[in-house]
Amino acid sequence: MNKKYTLRHYLFNQGLFYSLGLLMLLIVDYINLYIPQYIGDVMDGLTSFSYGLQDVIHTLFVMLIFVGIITLGRVFWRVFIFGASRQVEKQMRNDLFEKLLTLSQTYFNYHKTGDLMSHFTNDIDAIHYAIGPAVISCFDAIVMTTMVLYKMIVYVNLRLTLLCLIPMAAIGIGGYFFGNEIENSFSAKQEAFSKLSDFVQESISGQRVIKAFVQEKNQDREFSIVNKYNLKKNMDVVKLMASVMPLLEFVIGISYAITIFYGGYLAITAQITLGRFVAFNQYLAMLVWPMIAFGDAIISFSQGRASMKRLQEVFDEIPHIEDSANVKDIRTLHGNITFNNVSFQYGKEFEDSLKDVSFQIEQGETFAILGKTGAGKSTLVSVLARLYDIDRGSILFDGYFIKDIPLKTLRESIAYVPQDSYLFSDSISNNVRFGKLSASQKEIEEACKMACVHDNIVDFPDQYETIVGERGVTLSGGQKQRCAIARALLKDAPILVLDDSLSAVDTDTEDQLLDNLKKIRNGKTTILIAHRVSTIRNANHILVLEEGKMAEYGTFEELMAKNGIFKEMYDKQQLEKQLQGEEPWKE
Amino acid sequence: MERIDQELLESKSTDRVASRLAGYLKPYIGKVIFCIVLVLLLTALELIRPILIGDGIDTYISGYTRPYAVVENSDIYYHGKYLSQNEEDVEKATSFSKIVQENDQYYYYENLSKDELEQPLKNGTRLTSEELKTLRKQDIDGMVSIGVKYVIVLFFMLAFSTIQMLTLQKMGQDIIYTMRKEMFHHVHSLPLRYFDTHPIGKVVTRVTNDVESLNEMYSRILIRLFQNGTKIVGYALVMFLLNRRLALYCFIFVPIISVLTYTMRTLSRKFHREIRSRISLLNTFLSENISGMRLIQIFANEFKKQSEFEDKSKELYGAHMKQVSVNALFRPIIYFLSQLALALVIYVGAKDVLSSVVTIGTLYVFVNYISSFFEPIQEMAEAFSTLQNAMASAEKYFSVMDEISPIVEKEDAMELKNIRGKIEFRNVTFAYDGEHDVLKDISFVIEPGQKVAFVGATGAGKSSILNVLERFYDIKSGEVLIDDINIKDLTLDSIRRSIGMVQQDVFIFTGDIETNIKLFDEDLSDAVMIESAQIANAHTFIEKLPHQYKEPVSERGSTLSSGQRQLLSFARTLAHNPKILVMDEATANIDTETEHLIQDALEKMMVGRTTIMVAHRLSTIQHADTILVMHHGRIVERGNHQELLRQDGVYKKLYELQLFSA
Repeated sequence: MNKKYTLRHYLFNQGLFYSLGLLMLLIVDYINLYIPQYIGDVMDGLTSFSYGLQDVIHTLFVMLIFVGIITLGRVFWRVFIFGASRQVEKQMRNDLFEKLLTLSQTYFNYHKTGDLMSHFTNDIDAIHYAIGPAVISCFDAIVMTTMVLYKMIVYVNLRLTLLCLIPMAAIGIGGYFFGNEIENSFSAKQEAFSKLSDFVQESISGQRVIKAFVQEKNQDREFSIVNKYNLKKNMDVVKLMASVMPLLEFVIGISYAITIFYGGYLAITAQITLGRFVAFNQYLAMLVWPMIAFGDAIISFSQGRASMKRLQEVFDEIPHIEDSANVKDIRTLHGNITFNNVSFQYGKEFEDSLKDVSFQIEQGETFAILGKTGAGKSTLVSVLARLYDIDRGSILFDGYFIKDIPLKTLRESIAYVPQDSYLFSDSISNNVRFGKLSASQKEIEEACKMACVHDNIVDFPDQYETIVGERGVTLSGGQKQRCAIARALLKDAPILVLDDSLSAVDTDTEDQLLDNLKKIRNGKTTILIAHRVSTIRNANHILVLEEGKMAEYGTFEELMAKNGIFKEMYDKQQLEKQLQGEEPWKE
Repeated sequence: MERIDQELLESKSTDRVASRLAGYLKPYIGKVIFCIVLVLLLTALELIRPILIGDGIDTYISGYTRPYAVVENSDIYYHGKYLSQNEEDVEKATSFSKIVQENDQYYYYENLSKDELEQPLKNGTRLTSEELKTLRKQDIDGMVSIGVKYVIVLFFMLAFSTIQMLTLQKMGQDIIYTMRKEMFHHVHSLPLRYFDTHPIGKVVTRVTNDVESLNEMYSRILIRLFQNGTKIVGYALVMFLLNRRLALYCFIFVPIISVLTYTMRTLSRKFHREIRSRISLLNTFLSENISGMRLIQIFANEFKKQSEFEDKSKELYGAHMKQVSVNALFRPIIYFLSQLALALVIYVGAKDVLSSVVTIGTLYVFVNYISSFFEPIQEMAEAFSTLQNAMASAEKYFSVMDEISPIVEKEDAMELKNIRGKIEFRNVTFAYDGEHDVLKDISFVIEPGQKVAFVGATGAGKSSILNVLERFYDIKSGEVLIDDINIKDLTLDSIRRSIGMVQQDVFIFTGDIETNIKLFDEDLSDAVMIESAQIANAHTFIEKLPHQYKEPVSERGSTLSSGQRQLLSFARTLAHNPKILVMDEATANIDTETEHLIQDALEKMMVGRTTIMVAHRLSTIQHADTILVMHHGRIVERGNHQELLRQDGVYKKLYELQLFSA
């Protein structure tokens, strides 16, 4: 368990505010005991005719001064403790996000976005409750209970006190039992809620399909299943709560009944006075609130504990991919890449996605990867950028093993255009700037010109400030791809990877883009994944993958001479042209 | 910040929201009344508890003051005499005994005459606990019976409050279940246009979190408001009856506390709304960045994203702290005011006591009552602040529910039956935002069974044709007709049912292959599913998956390649057997091998169906009977491949670029 992320550590950081807050709470509780005394003095004074109006005013004045102190104390402990708990909450949130940033793709393949998000909202909220309001209830309860118990034992009767404490002890034991129970049903409820969120999220994301296939009614039906499940899990919690809270009051009531039975007997047989019997009842009344608050706090604590456990799981997640201890001090890469018998599988249950792949790319080369869907092209890029670690074989950059290269250096040396050309809901200029945070507007525009998207961008009313994605305009597939290309070009890294990034770009634009690439990537390594032979016309070497294995490898001429898959693909594309009765594709 | 202001402006009249919220209670009115009765009973039982104890004190613990009569036989036998405290016996008897308490000790006096009972007594025998136990057997029995009654009351309270809580909580859960259901249904009736401007994350929050915070209101807050309201009125009434002057002094504070509560309520509400907005911004950020994590890591921009997140996190913290400050001030100030009120009442009361206008007893009652009086007021204020939170959520909920889809079916909309598949556009003009036309005066006719391809540069408006045809968006002017009927006269369902769309982005739902082909449609048989997959050339790859049609898939789980996704979407479309087939750049993203599978599947799919294709690839276009060339929102050329090439226009140019791009 990482110490930095334990609850204790977080609380310790806010120790000063917590102790100040709790100290004030203690002072307030203590002074509070005196307030009834002043009122009692006035009443007694008036009863025995020993007080004049001046005495009354004097006593009330002193009382109000204490009341003022209590008021201020209450303001400050609230600010201190609630402030501290909010501060912890914020810190946790930041740490959690920071943690996510370090986790590898494998983690995100197995954990749903909705689940991860519920850590940030529901879990952190539950923890805040446990370390804020619940701490106060608990502390207050303990202080009050101690003070009251002291008076009960010393002033009234030890045996009666002990007898009355039996039900109270039952609360403690029951609290522990129910606490576990509540923790479990609370986890189940949270889980049901995140299931519900996931469903809604997905359903709304896929609403275009739902509309097009007129599936609204079926979606309603499916939703009612998750909705009902959520209802059921909530009811489980509710049923527990509805039995726990009244039961708590009942048990406290039993203490009163004991006082009536045994306390009454003691009073009747002159073992305690009537006055003390009455006082004992009042003391019991003073215990009720702390007990209920204590019960609430126990519930909050167990909910917080359940949430903390879930966060802990995330915090304890080992980032599979991070710099090893003996990483070398390498600052720059030049773009020589070697794959030696590289094999990789996504998980034990899957077959190898890459099998014994070996090749070499020299600095400045344009390297093309072709293959059918699922042949392992994107996987190859993923292991190249070390989003996953390979199982067997080795990958070398400039002769260094990939694991010896600092992750930062490696990734700074690779500019990447993803297949899905993912863009953030931000302005176009910020999206492109993502490639190089320090880039000037001019550099951004230059990159966009190279990616042949500048003209499209200036056509938008807000031009480069146009917000894209969910909150802004919807770009066409081709525009998105070209923005993603601009982003990668701006990075100007020694290695550029285009993962099937020209598929939605129309042919004349593709043509121009490839020309631009040839120009600006001069002397730098470029890896192209493509389907069309036309896309890879500039490639120095071509690798054809089939079911994760190297099917063919060589220059265009070599592959043509080989008369294999590449030749077949080439011929098929030739044939298409011929079928249309047009001139054959030519070099 | 702009976003926040915008959200603040979204608020509508509170009363309307309240009455709409009340509307959800209607079906449960019986239960609500039942619970109100239970709460009243509970309050009554609550009051009985101290009365029982008081009774025990007066009748039994102080029961020694009643004299004992010496009788011939009874169950109390002490010092060789049978004693009885029964009133009848005391009435008839001539010889008495008595217990007197002095300095917390009990003394026994015997052989007293009736007169001696009334006089001060001296030199009694001091009684031990054992002796008292014998003498006061009746008192002890009486106390036990009080205890038994007390336990019975406890049992009733336990039962009532459990039932009350369960009933109300169940009601609250049922209501939010219904609200979620309605909201979900409503969201799906909203046009795509709505989601162009409203982030999905936000809409999800409306369905999930905002509805959740209404639960508290239905299940707890309302009944608490009722309970406390009753208490306040009750106390005020009793105080007023006891002493008008003192009561009025207490009431001075009511307007002050009310104003303070109101201010607090407004502030708290404002901050709460800000918090909710900040949370929803944070959620949107999270959802997007978790999805884009791969990219962040490849671009090594973790640090930048972390600092962006921390900014958002800090803003949320700031909003939280504002609420903390308001709450931190409110309760202590109320406490201060209640103590001030107490001091004032004691001062005024003391003056009156000193001038003998008021008895000390009355003052004592007021001192006790004033704290009981302010307690429910404070509780009500607390409940109000929770209620405000709920109201803020409710407003957001209703703001989505009030969103009316501009795409409305006519009341007498027709079902499209026995469709032939003729499509016609007459002078159609359309803009996504109402201003910038993406389709300009488009007219064409597609006969049943014809295959038409739309060609043009990116952004020429090809995809918009499809959006408009399925009535995802309404056009500005012109007419869209299917089988010579204006689509505005048809039901949306029947339009969309008759059109099968193969989309550019294939969306995969979490579930298995089967759900993704059948799309939750239970009426589709496995045979149809498999047949569709076979025609779509998807069957082969599905068969190779470890669990075949039951193989789990999800949007993010990258188990399927884009080609496989495409084939899957073909199967999906075929399974629903549409008469019109619409394809949006369906062949993009596909390698040559899969493209052949796709071409083959397409040819099979197109048999007997009107087909509209949007594509860049000549291989797709070659299947078309007619090609419509679009340029800047207009149809600039039309004809078949050879005719268009002869025209030497845009098509020729596009074609040559494609051809000579190698």
